[in-house]
Amino acid sequence: MIAEPQLGQTACEQLADAAFDAVNEAAVDVEVVIHHNVEGLTRFANSQVHQNVARDDLAAAVRVVLDGGRSGVVNVHTDGPGVVARAARDAMALARMAPPDPEFPGLAPAAPTVAVPVDEATIAASPENRAGAVRDVLSEIPDEYEAAGAYRTVASELAVFTSAGQRIYAPGSVATLTMVVMGPTSSGYAEGGERAMADIDAAGTAASAVAKAAAGHDPVDVPAGSWPVVLEPPAVATMVQFLAYLGFGGRDYLEGRSFTAGHLGERCVDPRLTVVDDALSPLGTGLPFDYEGTPKQRVELIRDGAAVGIVHDRHSAAKAGTSSTGHGLPAPNTHGPLSMNPALLAGDGGAFDDVIGGCERGLLVTRFHYTNVVHPKETSITGMTRDGTFLVEDGRISAAVKNLRFTQSILAALEHVEAISSQTAYATEIFEEGGHFPSLRLPTFTFSGATSFG
Amino acid sequence: MAAGAEYADVRAVHEDRESLTVQDQRVEGVARATSRGVGVRVLVEGSWGFAGTARLDPAHIAEAARSAVAIARAGASLRRRSIELAPLDVEVDRYVTPHSTDPFDVPVEDKLELLLNATAAANSVDGLAFAKASCDAWRITKWFVSSDGARLNQTLLQVAGGVECVAVDDTQVQARSFPNSFRGYCGTGGWEDIVALDLAGRTPRYAEEAVALLRAPPLPEHTGTVILDGNQVALQVHESVGHPLELDRILGYEAAYAGTSWVAVNDVDRLRYGSELVNLTLDSTTPKALGTYGYDDEGVPAGRHTLVEQGMLRGFLSSRETAPGLGGDVRSNGTMRAESWGAIPLIRMSNIHLEPGEGSLEQLLDDTGNGIFMTTNRSWSIDDKRLNFQFGCEVAYEIRGGRLGRMYRNPTYTGRTPVFWGSCDAIAGAEAWEVYGTPNCGKGQPSQLARVAHGAAPTRFRDVRMGVR
Repeated sequence: MIAEPQLGQTACEQLADAAFDAVNEAAVDVEVVIHHNVEGLTRFANSQVHQNVARDDLAAAVRVVLDGGRSGVVNVHTDGPGVVARAARDAMALARMAPPDPEFPGLAPAAPTVAVPVDEATIAASPENRAGAVRDVLSEIPDEYEAAGAYRTVASELAVFTSAGQRIYAPGSVATLTMVVMGPTSSGYAEGGERAMADIDAAGTAASAVAKAAAGHDPVDVPAGSWPVVLEPPAVATMVQFLAYLGFGGRDYLEGRSFTAGHLGERCVDPRLTVVDDALSPLGTGLPFDYEGTPKQRVELIRDGAAVGIVHDRHSAAKAGTSSTGHGLPAPNTHGPLSMNPALLAGDGGAFDDVIGGCERGLLVTRFHYTNVVHPKETSITGMTRDGTFLVEDGRISAAVKNLRFTQSILAALEHVEAISSQTAYATEIFEEGGHFPSLRLPTFTFSGATSFG
Repeated sequence: MAAGAEYADVRAVHEDRESLTVQDQRVEGVARATSRGVGVRVLVEGSWGFAGTARLDPAHIAEAARSAVAIARAGASLRRRSIELAPLDVEVDRYVTPHSTDPFDVPVEDKLELLLNATAAANSVDGLAFAKASCDAWRITKWFVSSDGARLNQTLLQVAGGVECVAVDDTQVQARSFPNSFRGYCGTGGWEDIVALDLAGRTPRYAEEAVALLRAPPLPEHTGTVILDGNQVALQVHESVGHPLELDRILGYEAAYAGTSWVAVNDVDRLRYGSELVNLTLDSTTPKALGTYGYDDEGVPAGRHTLVEQGMLRGFLSSRETAPGLGGDVRSNGTMRAESWGAIPLIRMSNIHLEPGEGSLEQLLDDTGNGIFMTTNRSWSIDDKRLNFQFGCEVAYEIRGGRLGRMYRNPTYTGRTPVFWGSCDAIAGAEAWEVYGTPNCGKGQPSQLARVAHGAAPTRFRDVRMGVR
C-alpha cells in the first residue's frame, strides 16, 4: 500500500504543530507523540499461506497539561492536521476536568538522540517479498512435516514533540520470522529478527526448526522434579525478560513491589551474570527514545550478579530524585517504566553445543510457552516447555522428552550458573522487540508437572 | 471486485475509548482515544488478502482495496487448497447494545469522583499499601458491507470498573480485587452498570483481606477437593474449553503462536469432555455479557450454540472458512471478530458459559464438608494443546464442616483438562451464576485482543492438586 511507507520528519512536525497551534495558550504544556506503523505480515500454517495482511496506521497522542499538573490525553488515528488539532482541544477539555497532580514531573526538554540503522528495502517490502521469504521457508519442509509461522516486515516512525523544547524523530525497520515445524510426534521452533529483512536467513531458520522437530520424534516420559537444565536462547529470553519486567521498573521499585526494593547493590544471581537494557545495541531492534521523548540510556540492571540499576520514566525518576533513563510508556502510563530491551551478556562457554556438552545428565529446553507470573516479588513464574525438550546424557542428546510444566523462581534458578555460551541468537518472549541471548546451563530447575506430548 | 476478487467485505470502524485510573487520591490517567479506519478483506484465487488504513479519503481506501488484492495474489501460489466459504443468509440490519446511559455522556468529573471515593474507602483500612481504581468505556460503531449483499451497522457499548487493593511487605505483594481482577466488572451496557457496583461501599472488605493475606499461611501442597468461585471457573472455561474448541486452532492455523488443540474435528459426539454435569454453551446474545454483539465480523448473526452437553463434545467455535471442514452443510456459528479496522477477523470466543446446576454457594459448601475454596484469578498458564494448566488465585479459604475457615495466601492448582472437567461433581445453581468479562484475551499474529465473557457459578472438583511448588 501504502504509497508512503514513511511520512518523514517534516510531515510529523506539521501534525504536531497543528496540536500546538490549537491550544496555544499560556501555562499550557503540550506533548504530541506521532507513531506511524506500516506493517505487512504473511502467516502460514499447514505449510501454506493462510493469512496475508497489511496495515497502515498513523496515530497521534496529544497530552495537554494545565496548571497544577492537571492533564488529559487524547489519541487519534489520522493523517489530518485538523483531527490532531481537535484532539488537542479535547485533551485540554479533559485536563480542565482533571484534579491537580502535584507529582507531575514536567515534559521532556530538548535532548539529542542517535540515529538507529534503517533498511530501505525492509521499509519498502512488498507482499511479493514476504511471499518469497515464505516460499524459501516452505521449500525446506520435508513432506512428513508441516510448517506454521509468520514473516513480518515493519516500517515505523516515532516522533515526540513537547512544549518544553523536545522535537525528536526516528524511523525504524524490522523484519521477523517465527516458525514451528510439526511432525507426527514432535515439533521444532526457530525464529529470527533483524532491522533488515535481507539479514534473515529464511531457509536456514526453517532448516533449524526442521532439525529440531526431527530430533524430537517419539518423546519419552521423564518425571517432574528438579533437573539440571540447558536453556536455549528463547528459554533464556523468557527468564531474562520476565526478570526485567518484575524487578527493575522504577515505579515498582519505589512502591516496594519488586525484589530490588531495599536490596539494590546486593547480589541477586550468579556473579557471572550481567544483564543490560540497551535499546541501541547493534544486535537489537529498539528505537532510540521513549514515548516521553527521552533518549534511551544503556542501563546495567545486574552487574556481576548484583542488582545495580533501575529504569525510570520522568515520573518515577522525579520521585527517586534522578533522571529518566528513557523507559517511559505512552501517556497516561499507569504501569510505570519498563525495561523492554534487557539482554543477558554472553559468557565464555563457547558454542551452544559446548554448553550441552558439559551436561552430564539433564534436560535441554528449546523454549517455554504461555509463561505467567505466580508470585511477583519472589520472581516465581510458571509455564510449559514446547517445541523441543530433550534428555541430555554424557553431553549429548539421548532422547526427546514430553513437555513439562515448570514453576520456578527466576532468581533461584539463576543463583548458580554452570555455563554461559559465548554464542548468542535472536529471541524474544514477552516483548515484541527481541534481542540476542546466550544459552545457559543451570544445576537445578524445578519442573512441577508433565504432559503427554512432545 | 473489479480487481478480480471472488469475494470482498469492507469494515469501517469508529471506536471511542475512555480510560480513567486513580491510585489512592492521585488521578493517574484521564485518556480518550478515537480510532477510525477501514479494513478490506478479499478472496482472490482462493486466498485471503487484507489491508487496513486509517486514511479515510477515497484514494487511500481504494488503494487499500487494490493492496488487499495484490496481497491475496502474492499468497495464492503458496496455497495447496482454495478457501471456500460456508453459505450465509445475508442481512441488512442495525444493532445497538441495550443501555440506559451512554458512558461517554457522563462527565469525567463524576466518574473520577466515583473512583476517588472508592480508593478513599479502601485507604481507610490500616496497613493497605495503596488502592487503584479504574473505569473504562468503549463505543464501537461498525459498518459491514460484503459482496454477498450484507449491509450491517452495529454500535456496541462496553464498560468496565473496579478496584484493586494492594498490601506489601518485605517479601510479598498481595492484592484483592473487587468485583474481579483485571479491570473489575466488564460487560456490555451503560454507565448504570458501573454505578450499581457500589465500589465505595463494598471495597473496604477487600482492602481488609489484602492486608490479612500478608499474615496468612501459604496454601499447603496437597491433593483434595476444591470449590472454585464463579470468577475463577470463568477463567478455567476460557483457557481449557474456549480456546481448545476454536476451530482454527484445531485446524492448525494458530500452531506457531498460540498453539493447537487436544481436540480433533472428528471428536464431535465421541469425546467425553467432562462429567455429566458439564454443559457448556456459546452464546453471543447473553444480555450485558462483554462478548455480546448483533453480528460477527463476517456478518453472521449472534446466536446460542451447544459446545458440550452432559459432558459430551457437541460443537466448536467456527467461521465461514472453517465450518465447511466439519462436513455437510454446517454453517459458521458467528465468532469471527477483529480487534480493530486494521486487523483481519479471527475466530474468537464471544460468551462461553458453564451452565448452572442447583443450589446456593452455602449449600454447596455445606454439602462439601472439607476442602478448599478459591476465588479471583491472579495467574494462568496452559500448554499449547490446552491440556496441562496451572492457575493461581488471589485468596483461598479452608472449608471445614461446611463453612469457610482460615485464609490461605498464594493458592494455586493444576490439572489436565479432561481429567479436571471429569472430576466436576457439583455446580451451584442460577442464584449463584454470574457472567464475568475477560477484557484481555490474546490471539493471532499480530496479536489481537478481544473482549469476551463467561457465565459460571461456584463449582466443585475432586482430587485436584493444589499448592503447586
